[in-house]
Amino acid sequence: MGDILFVSLTEGMSWVENRRELIEEYIGGSGLAINLLHELCPEGVDPFSPENPIILAPGPFIGLYPVCSKTIAMFKSPLTGNLGESHAGGGLGAALRFAGYDALVVLGASPKPVWLDIRGDGEVGFKGSSSVQGMSAVETVAVLKEPEPDGLQSVVAVGPAGEKFVYYANAVVDGYNFFGRTGLGAVMGAKNLKAIRVTGCGRIGVEDLDGYKSLFERIYEEVVKTGKMRKYHDLGTPQNVLTLNSIKALPTRNFKSGFFEHAEKISGEYFADNLLIRKNPCPLCPIGCKHVAMLRGFFADEHEVEVVEAGYDYEPVYALGSNLGIDDPAGVLKLCLLCDSYGLDAMMTGTMLAWATEAYERNLVGLEETLVEPRWGDADGYVEMVKHIVDMPNEFYVSMAQGRAYRGLGEDFLMTIGGVGLAGYHTGLAFVVGTAIGARHSHVSNAGYSLDQRHLGEPLDPVKAVETLVEEETWRCILESCGVCLFARRVYDINLVAEALAKLGLRRSVEELKETGRRIYALKYRFKFREGFGFKNLKIPARLFETPSANGRIEPDDVKKALEVAEHRIKELVERYAPAI
Amino acid sequence: MGCMTCVLVCSREIYGSLSVKYSAMRVFRDGLGFRVVVCSGCEDPDCASACPYEALKPRPDGGVELVNPDKCVECEDRPCLDACSMKALRWDDERKRPIVCIECGVCAKFCPHEVLYYGEVV
Repeated sequence: MGDILFVSLTEGMSWVENRRELIEEYIGGSGLAINLLHELCPEGVDPFSPENPIILAPGPFIGLYPVCSKTIAMFKSPLTGNLGESHAGGGLGAALRFAGYDALVVLGASPKPVWLDIRGDGEVGFKGSSSVQGMSAVETVAVLKEPEPDGLQSVVAVGPAGEKFVYYANAVVDGYNFFGRTGLGAVMGAKNLKAIRVTGCGRIGVEDLDGYKSLFERIYEEVVKTGKMRKYHDLGTPQNVLTLNSIKALPTRNFKSGFFEHAEKISGEYFADNLLIRKNPCPLCPIGCKHVAMLRGFFADEHEVEVVEAGYDYEPVYALGSNLGIDDPAGVLKLCLLCDSYGLDAMMTGTMLAWATEAYERNLVGLEETLVEPRWGDADGYVEMVKHIVDMPNEFYVSMAQGRAYRGLGEDFLMTIGGVGLAGYHTGLAFVVGTAIGARHSHVSNAGYSLDQRHLGEPLDPVKAVETLVEEETWRCILESCGVCLFARRVYDINLVAEALAKLGLRRSVEELKETGRRIYALKYRFKFREGFGFKNLKIPARLFETPSANGRIEPDDVKKALEVAEHRIKELVERYAPAI
Repeated sequence: MGCMTCVLVCSREIYGSLSVKYSAMRVFRDGLGFRVVVCSGCEDPDCASACPYEALKPRPDGGVELVNPDKCVECEDRPCLDACSMKALRWDDERKRPIVCIECGVCAKFCPHEVLYYGEVV
């Protein structure tokens, strides 16, 4: 327990260090990663410099308990300028654990493009990647995966967007999962690192095997038989399309409205009934939330046709569908697949395309900048624009690739908070505040959207909302540290997590667990503050106050009040739980 | 669906630890779908017939049992692996013997989508 594989790309060397004490104190996953980030990331570092470390940490539940698969990536983000944090499912976490590692740390930068071959025997292969440079991320995964590997194999790869440092380039895991947010792909690109292949050939042992087996069975039954996770299995996350549209919370045409008149055409129901071809689960997950659709594509004249697979989820469907006014399911899938192939965060890409369309509509930019006329609903036009985001043919697209409003124009409708493109929930105050105060500015940091939906029609008190959001985020820090997928949060309550940890020899009371969560959260914020994050610099796009949310108009004063309270509360937590390291 | 739950619970039964490599089950991507490779529980198993040392013996209710693993250690050709058309047997290179399905049915018990069935085949 506690073995961490270090790889220096600069020197072409690798070594293992045991940090058992960190696992005992911080469990693993994000708890482990944030500690390593503090140790390894120099203050004020340029995110693209070799000194910016990449930490990939799977939690200790992975490979042992059902629905636990999330690996946490931490690094300094080019997009936010502070904490880079992204979580991915797929086989990576299990492969690392079966290879015997609780984390992988990548340091330095390679003089030539490489990919890493990790087999868990202490050796790391540094393989030249000249033949796959410029290749799509999804294809790179397919090329590097062995047909019948000797154990559990996983491949993480970047596409052209990562190689060209698009600030929101992602890293694809096994083709359908992503370290989607805050730009891990660009940081890998800056290191000349095209991909990492991990083959887990070893074993994971448990001391109390019988106790563990019976707990496994209990969790498994709860997941499979109680219906607590049915929605993720049946329609997957795109079930949200119609649900949110019905409460006028489905962001449409750059958040001009919360209602998309053609929502049914891009709904989870439509995709599942007509285009779904399979589900793609993470190891040990009986749910399989990742839904994969078929997309018919023509690659030459005379009906040269092929059927390709395109993964889809709620967020990309909102970002590349309703938020761009696209009602053609094939058009949405085409854009999803394009983002996955280039290795672009689909959500942020949608945010930028929507902003550009409105900026063009308002004559803030013209055809000489956009090169293609951006039109709501025109998927083919957007396809061309996505290509330009990666190729960056002019200053406008350089700014698009950096996630910024060109020359500061139209910032009121650039739908980002803390640099990160918004998720698809115009539900109300808690969504806005939750995204603003979430350590990684993600809607799942603290689930403000869910708090809003639980209080439809009842005005939320900003002070109480902050209390709930901070409490939720500190608890989620524990789930992330164990490796639990947040979709299973209703199954893994605090008592179950304590019991499951005890079976692995990590015994602690429910109260102690809560304390650990607060410490992890405080450490994340300590890192943010260290790298210059300030609540005063947070800009909330005015559009969020103009368009009525599911809970009516959001009052700017309420958000202001909430952010003041949050700042005070978070600084208090940092002082108490993460004083000088 | 490819969730590998069967693979891992199998390794747990046979070896008492979790592993994808040390398991009698395998699941592979195959085109758009998945392929599960597992012992068919043959009544007259080809693997047992191929074993020159009588280390593998047919079980009364189908499948095989490794009755004499010591004989496997010196075995270089591993004809049992070749004999199985399903390629359901794999080699444990640590203990130097085939990984034999114990016909316990735990894989089917934890298959969430009824892909696997464990029971009497008429």
